[in-house]
Amino acid sequence: MKATLETINQMQADGVIGRYAIGGAVGATFYLSPAATVDLDVFVIIPQTSGVLISLAPVYEYLKLRGGSVQDEYIVIGEWPVQFLPPANDLEYEAVTQAITTQVEGIVTRVMSAEHLMAIALNTGRAKDHNRILQFIEQVPYDPAKLKDILERHGLNRKWKSFENKFLGEGQ
Amino acid sequence: MSKPRLQARMASLTFSEKIKILEKLRDRERAISAAGLRPKQPKKPTAR
Repeated sequence: MKATLETINQMQADGVIGRYAIGGAVGATFYLSPAATVDLDVFVIIPQTSGVLISLAPVYEYLKLRGGSVQDEYIVIGEWPVQFLPPANDLEYEAVTQAITTQVEGIVTRVMSAEHLMAIALNTGRAKDHNRILQFIEQVPYDPAKLKDILERHGLNRKWKSFENKFLGEGQ
Repeated sequence: MSKPRLQARMASLTFSEKIKILEKLRDRERAISAAGLRPKQPKKPTAR
């Protein structure tokens, strides 16, 4: 992971990407007990040079020149297949901009807040996302008031109610 | 050790320690897939 994060940080320093934040299962592991995953989800803000469409081509070109290899939707950096994900909505953009700074093996990096990870998982809505939310609820490394605020501001209250009804009953 | 206690203990590790565990889990997944003991997982539609 150290080599992977060093490369991503260098890519940021070189201006290929703007701010970034680790999300997905690896991001959740910052708060929870580790759960198996084979990839690293990195949400990146791509500086727009021209046009409206956001392209990851500069990221791939930069990394391929530095030994990265493309595998399906991933690019392998160090030992980790990395998926670069430009924010798809305001929630994900906010999650990147409000990410927490931390370190892995002495390398500075950024991880999404627990509440943003939960909101994104709720919005994505696959079985494994629901499972992750349940882990957060069981292990309680989050601020319920902050989560409520995020859910309200991003129009996720109905999805949360549905999640509560399905997985938590009336007790929550 | 009970599951909740183990989870709490694992959750309290530093991020670096947890990443080391993730890397071991990832390598184990790869070894299992490479040995053909588990069918390759279909591509995920969207990773978020």
